[in-house]
Amino acid sequence: MAGKPKVVITWLGACGGCDEAIVDLHEAILNVAEAVDIVFWPVALDYKYKHLQSMQDGEIALSLITGSVRNSEHEEVAKMLRKKSQLVIAFGACACFGGTPGLANFRTKEDIFTWVYRDAPTVVNPKANVPQTKTWVDGKELTLPDFYTHVYTLNQMIPVDYYLPGCPPPPDLIGNMVQAVLSGDLPPKGSALAPRNSLCDVCDRNKTKPYRIELKEIKRIHEVEADPETCFLAKGIICMGPATRAGCGESCIRTNTPCRGCFGPVEGVQDSGARFISALASLFKVSKDDDIKQIMDGIADPAGTFYRFTQASSILGTKKIEKTEEV
Amino acid sequence: MKNYEPKLICFSCNFGWGFLTGEEKLKSKVKNWIPVACSGKIETTHVLKAFQQGADGVLILGCPEGHCHFQDGNYQTSKKVHLLQRVLDAYGIDQKRVKMVFAVDSEGKKIPQLVNEMSEGIRHLGPMKPV
Amino acid sequence: MWKTVSAGATRVEPAVKQFLPPCQVRCPINEDIQRTNVLISLLPEDPELATDGVIQIGDYLYDRNPLFNICGYVCGLCELDCNYQSKGGAIRRRLLKRFVSDTYTYHLDRKEEFNIAKQKENVAIVGGGPAGLMCAFDLSKRGYRATIFEASDRLGGALWLIPRYRLPEKVLTSACENLVRIAGIDVKYNTRVGGGKLTLERLKNEGYKAVFVAEGTPAPRVLTFGREKVEGQELSGVMYGNMFLYEVSHGNIKPGYFKGQRVIVVGGGNVAFDVARTARRLGGETTVVCLECENKKSRDGIPADVDEIRGAWEEGIKIVYSRGVRKIVGESERVKKIECPKCTNVFDESGFNPKFDTSDAIELSGDVLIITVGQGMERGALQDLLDERGGLAVDPLTLESSKKEWVFIGGDLRRIGFMAEAMKEGLIAAESIERYLRGLDIREGRKIDFEPQDIPLRRYYLNEPEVLWIPPEKRLHFQLFERGFTLTEAIEEAKRCLTCGPCISCKACVSVGIQEALPTVKVYEDRCSGCGVCSSVCYYSSAQLKEVEGKRKSTTDMFKCKSCGMCVVACPSAARELTGCNMEKRIQEVYASL
Repeated sequence: MAGKPKVVITWLGACGGCDEAIVDLHEAILNVAEAVDIVFWPVALDYKYKHLQSMQDGEIALSLITGSVRNSEHEEVAKMLRKKSQLVIAFGACACFGGTPGLANFRTKEDIFTWVYRDAPTVVNPKANVPQTKTWVDGKELTLPDFYTHVYTLNQMIPVDYYLPGCPPPPDLIGNMVQAVLSGDLPPKGSALAPRNSLCDVCDRNKTKPYRIELKEIKRIHEVEADPETCFLAKGIICMGPATRAGCGESCIRTNTPCRGCFGPVEGVQDSGARFISALASLFKVSKDDDIKQIMDGIADPAGTFYRFTQASSILGTKKIEKTEEV
Repeated sequence: MKNYEPKLICFSCNFGWGFLTGEEKLKSKVKNWIPVACSGKIETTHVLKAFQQGADGVLILGCPEGHCHFQDGNYQTSKKVHLLQRVLDAYGIDQKRVKMVFAVDSEGKKIPQLVNEMSEGIRHLGPMKPV
Repeated sequence: MWKTVSAGATRVEPAVKQFLPPCQVRCPINEDIQRTNVLISLLPEDPELATDGVIQIGDYLYDRNPLFNICGYVCGLCELDCNYQSKGGAIRRRLLKRFVSDTYTYHLDRKEEFNIAKQKENVAIVGGGPAGLMCAFDLSKRGYRATIFEASDRLGGALWLIPRYRLPEKVLTSACENLVRIAGIDVKYNTRVGGGKLTLERLKNEGYKAVFVAEGTPAPRVLTFGREKVEGQELSGVMYGNMFLYEVSHGNIKPGYFKGQRVIVVGGGNVAFDVARTARRLGGETTVVCLECENKKSRDGIPADVDEIRGAWEEGIKIVYSRGVRKIVGESERVKKIECPKCTNVFDESGFNPKFDTSDAIELSGDVLIITVGQGMERGALQDLLDERGGLAVDPLTLESSKKEWVFIGGDLRRIGFMAEAMKEGLIAAESIERYLRGLDIREGRKIDFEPQDIPLRRYYLNEPEVLWIPPEKRLHFQLFERGFTLTEAIEEAKRCLTCGPCISCKACVSVGIQEALPTVKVYEDRCSGCGVCSSVCYYSSAQLKEVEGKRKSTTDMFKCKSCGMCVVACPSAARELTGCNMEKRIQEVYASL
C-alpha cells in the first residue's frame, strides 16, 4: 500500500496521558488520520505485536513511543520499533527523561516488591506472591516480562531522533510535531521539539520578581494562599520554572500552581535538578550558618521535588541503588 | 574491603589554600587535586559528575566565614552542598562523602592531612561504582 | 617563595572607562591602592618570609610614587572616601602603607640606582619639596636631565613642618635623599632662584629648556582682624607657626624650651595643632584659639582633623572655639595677653568673611603667642609670572605659565593643598614639560574624570581595628605615638578591603599566581530566559537584567564584574560561561583519570 506514511503510537511504562493528549487534538486528529496510516496504537486500535513484527526494517515512517522502560517487554518493543522505523520520537516526559516513574530509581526492586505485594495497607497476599517471569498453569507455561531493577529513559535503550517533552505534551506542540514530520521541516537530529529556553522566558509572573530575591524560608504551595500574579520563587514557593523548558503554555502557572518541571531541562543542560539546586541555594540569605542547615532541612523531599520527572536522565540517573551493609 | 583506598577529589580555593607553595609542589602531594579561584565556583554538576565517574568522595576546601575574597563565595558553596547532600542521600550516596572545610592554610601543608582524614572517615562506606 | 610580578599580563591597565575604586579616585595620584591591599593580604604569615614580599610591594609602589614611605605617616586621604566607612569603618590604608614603609625605608638605602640614559633636554626644578621632587623623578625616568634648585640646605620643603611625633626624621630624609640618588637628579642646595642674580631668564640662557617652579609658600600670613593687620605682632614672644616648626625641625629648639610658660596658638587648621602639640611637648601650657566652632559638620566647623583635636585634647591642650584676636597687648616689649571677641560667623556667601560681636570679648594671658593662620608665596621673586591682580597666571589644566610658555608652576605655590596634591602637580608638570619640549599638543586628553565604584555586597561587614596610641601621659616627647601594624594585623586589615574597583585596575591575584589570567564572563543571550537568578547572586551589581527586543535578558557590566563565577554557577539555564579559565579542563582531566 503505497502513499500514506505509516505511524506507530505505542506505550511502554506509561500512564496513557500522552495518548490522551493526542486525542485532545480534537477534530484535528481527523486530519492526521487522513494524512497518515496509524498501524499500531494499543489504546485505540486493535493491532497486535505480530503485525509490527511482520513489517520490514524502515517501513514505519514514524514511531511515537511514550513511557519509560521498566521491563523486558518495553525493551523488546522499543528495540523492534527502532529497527523498523525511520524516525523515533520520545513522546512525553517518561520517554524523554524517565518521568515520574523515574523516582522509583530511589528504591531497590526488593523494596518496591515488598511494599506493593506485601506491606501496603490494602494488600491481602498471605503467601507473599510476587510476579514471576515464568509459571505453569494447567500444564502450560505462562511468561511475564522481567521487571528490571532500574527505570530507563528511551534513549538509554535505543537511539532517539527527537524528543517531545511534557507530562503530557500539549496539543499544540503535538500538532506542530506532526506538521514538521509531514513537511520534512525538522531541526537537527537529537533536538527537542519545544522552545529552547526556560519557563521564566514566557511566564507572565517573571517581571514581578524583585531585583534581588533574598529568601529566608521555603513555603509549600498548600501552606499559603499564593498571589495569582506574583512570581512563586520570589515568595519562597519552590517553582521549577527557571530550570524547566518552556512550551507547556504555563498551564500550571495559570491555575496558580508552581511549575513542577515536567518539560525537563532547557536546551544544552543534562541535569535540570542540579542546576536548580545551585539556583535555589543562591537565593537564600540567612545570617547564621546553623540557619542554613535548618532551612535546607525544612525543604520536604528535595530529591523528589527537583527530580520529579528527570531522575532517570540525571547525571546520577543510571546509578542503581543497592542495600549497603552497615559496618 | 580491606586494602581499599578511597578515591577523593579535592577542590581547594586558591585565595585561602596553598597559594604560597604553588601548584607544582602541591600537585605531587595531593592526588586528584583541583585548585580553583573561589570555592563558590564549584558547581553542583561538578560534584555529581565526580560521583558519576567513580569518585568515592569530594572534599571542598574554602575560606572561613567572612574571609572570601569574592565576598560570599564560600557561603554560596555551603548552601549548595547542604542542599545537595540531602539529594545525594536519596541517590544512596552517604552525606559523609561530601565534606567542606572552611579555614585558611596559605602554605597548603594541611591539605594532604585533610584528604587522609576524610579518607579514613569514608573508608567504611566502601567504593562507589562508576555509573 | 612569595613572588609578585608586575609585567605583561599582570600590569595594571589604564582605566578604560575611568572606573576606579573610590579610594583611588580620591588619591591625588590615583595610586594602585587596591592592588597593594590585596598583595599585602596574601603575604606569608612568617615575618622573615614576608620581608621579601614587602620589599616587592614597596618596589612596585616606589616606581610610581618614590615618596610613598612618607604617605603612610602623614596622608590618608583615600580613607575619607573608602566605601567601608558606612559599614564599620574605612580600611586603615594609611597604616597599611606605613607597614610597607616600616620595612622599605631601611631597604631604600640599599636600593640600586635606576641608571637611566638621560638623552633629552635639561630641565630646571625650582624647589625641592614634594612637587619638585616628583616632577624631577618623573622627568628623569623619561630621560630628561633634571636639576633641582633648593634654597635651603635640605630637600623636603614643607614636609619639614610636620612634627617628629608624626613623621620620623629618618623616613623623610631617606625618602628625599634616596630619590635624587636613585633617579640620578642633580641638586643645587642653598641656591635661591628669582629676586637676585639667578632669574628664570638666566636659567633659560644657561640651557634649561623648561622650568618647573614649585617653591611653595614659606611666607607666613600675618594676623588680621577684619581687614586690618593686628597691632603687636613685632613684640617679643610673638612668632609665626610655620617658622617655629622649621626651627624645631632644624633642632634649634631645646627640650623644655617652653617649660613654665603659657603658650597661645592662634589658628584652627592642622598646622596650628601641629604647633600646639609641639609646644606642649616642649613643656608649655598650651591653648589653641580659633575662629571656627566646635561642630565639624557645620560650614564654620574647625578644619583640623578629628584625630588631631582628640590627640591635642588628650595631651592637655585647651581649645577655645569661636574667638578672633583683635589686639595683642604687650608689656616692656613682651607679649602679655590678647583680646578675643566672639566670632559669630566665619563663612558667608562671599566666602571667608568672619563677623564678630565685640561686646562679648575675653582676655587670654600668655607668655608666647604663635600665629598659625596660613602661609603664602614670596611674591617678590615671582613678579614676571603674576597677572594684573597679583595672582599667578597659570593654566590649571596643564600648569603652564600664561606669561612664559617654558615655565610651569605647581604645588603649594599655585594652590595650598596636601602633600599628595603637590605630588600630583609635579607629575602633571612633568607631562606638560615633555609635551612642550616634544612639540605635542599640551592640552589634549589631560582632563580625566574618574568614576568611583560602589561597595560590593556581602553578609557581614567587619569593624575597623582600633588605632593604638601611647597613653597621653607617656607621649609628651617627639617619638611616634601611634603604633603601626604588625604583620598579622596588616594581613588581616588588608583582607578587609572589599576590592571595590575593576579587575583591570588591580590584577593582584594574577601577579601572585592565584589565577593565570582574568577570566571574562560571557552571556549566551539566546539561552538566557531572564529569570533573574544571576542578578540576585551578583555581589558587584554587575549582572543585570535589561530589556532586549521586548524580552528581559541578562547582561554583564564588564567594569564591575570580578569574574567570580557566582552567576555562572547559579544560572539555571547554563547561559553563562567563564572564558579564559581552565577550571573545566582540569576537572575533565582529573575525572578522566579516576
